[in-house]
Amino acid sequence: MTENLVEVRGVTFGYGREVILDRVSLDVERRDFLAVIGPNGGGKTTLLKVILGLIRPWSGEVVFHLPSGSDSRGRLGYVPQFSTFDKDFPLRLGDMVLMGRLGNRALLRPYSRADRAAADLAMERLNLVPLARAHVAEVSGGQLQRALIARALVSDPDVLFLDEPTASIDAESRETLRELLADLNRTIPIVVVTHDVTSFAPMVSRIACINRRLFYHGAPDLSREVMEEVYGCPVELVTHGVPHRVLDDHPHHDSHEHRH
Amino acid sequence: MPTFFEALSYDFLRNALIAGVLASVLCGVIGTFVVVKRLAFISDGISHAAFGGMGVCFYLGIDPLLGAIPVALVCALALGAVDRETIRSYDALIGVLWAVGMAVGVVFVYKTPGYAPNLMTYLFGNILLVSHHDLRVILVLAVSVLALLFLFFKGIVAVAFDEVFARVRGVRVRFLMSLLLTLIALSVVILIQIVGIILVVALLTIPSVISLMLWRDLKAVLAGSVLIGVAITLGGLILSFYYDLPSGPAIILLGAVLLVGAYGFKKVRRRRPVHP
Repeated sequence: MTENLVEVRGVTFGYGREVILDRVSLDVERRDFLAVIGPNGGGKTTLLKVILGLIRPWSGEVVFHLPSGSDSRGRLGYVPQFSTFDKDFPLRLGDMVLMGRLGNRALLRPYSRADRAAADLAMERLNLVPLARAHVAEVSGGQLQRALIARALVSDPDVLFLDEPTASIDAESRETLRELLADLNRTIPIVVVTHDVTSFAPMVSRIACINRRLFYHGAPDLSREVMEEVYGCPVELVTHGVPHRVLDDHPHHDSHEHRH
Repeated sequence: MPTFFEALSYDFLRNALIAGVLASVLCGVIGTFVVVKRLAFISDGISHAAFGGMGVCFYLGIDPLLGAIPVALVCALALGAVDRETIRSYDALIGVLWAVGMAVGVVFVYKTPGYAPNLMTYLFGNILLVSHHDLRVILVLAVSVLALLFLFFKGIVAVAFDEVFARVRGVRVRFLMSLLLTLIALSVVILIQIVGIILVVALLTIPSVISLMLWRDLKAVLAGSVLIGVAITLGGLILSFYYDLPSGPAIILLGAVLLVGAYGFKKVRRRRPVHP
């Protein structure tokens, strides 16, 4: 019996003739805080889509050994980037969180008392109770981010995936997010896809560097050579243990700057 | 000249009124999903394509409404089945369906022996021509659409808001999208009777666009667009009665005026940030 909850085995995928992921293999361990890093357009989000079952790879496979079995459907928590859903949708935060309970079997059934209780619990855990009746369009980025995490948590997932979670929130919300994820990581493994390597440096247990290929997968003290290979240009590396900084900012290098 | 309310003793005006209210309820509810899910162009395509079925039925001498229904449904399901990521120009596909439907319709109407129907009636509708038979068909369609929407409401809202998340949760997104497109297709067929092929998209979108400007809760938006839809349909009907205007355009123009008014109202009234 392996300790790996998720195993990505030799996944290759692309659009048209262009290969986005080239024989990528990695795994998510039981206690992992895995940061999938790499430049924009390097295939991080595509890899996440493959793991979540949203796209079928050209070759290779993703194998799950979840506590609930090998069927991952409905067992993976997902916190999307803000750009993937409609932020102007007329919806209250509480109702959005409740949507996390929606699954294949419940299509015709109204939300049950258990669904509502789970949503209330998740909202409480994320300090969202006063915002339950607020609208998606009117809350701050940090509040919306917390609601998205609550929505992912209401179904009690076996692994939590976050796609660029720091991209649309301010510095203060980032600190809250870090504390929150560190706390959640005590019970479930967390996978963060990010080009912002510095944000989660203190709590990351392992990293995976992806730029079409997997360049590195392991403890977060990788060499400058690997980083330069991944990003394709010189980067300063600060050793692990210095909080909040793994890489220095480089003015000529835009791959870890925010685009929002 | 009788007043509008005196004229209601006429069957045709009563039918028009009932059809208008039914259509407005549908518009408000289905139209809200058309607007938030950005399906206006698809709806417009379905509406124009349906004319192909109407033309064929006219040629065969059967009720054009019965020709519009299968064509609209086939178009909706075909557009729902196409994978938008693999087909390069989804909008071009809609455009082609649109034009082919119109062409088929015009050819068959042209080839129909004897009395040539007035194309304008189909293009711009005439709510005053709604018969008892039409009214029964509209009633059955409207009730079915609303019942299906009510049954699958939760899922359709989830898919409309965040399709990717719904897929991760194992929700049958493809089924729900096809269902939504089917409901849109049936609504379009009903609306063709009221405002005609060309103006359908306006009646589907205007009430919901106004409502979305004024309210932020989904249920309030739905209720608001139903009320706005009823108001502009009845208002348009009254205007067309007193000023001898074609009913479809009168309804749409009244809606457009309200839309501009709502936009101005929203601009003037500075909204306070509720949760800074």
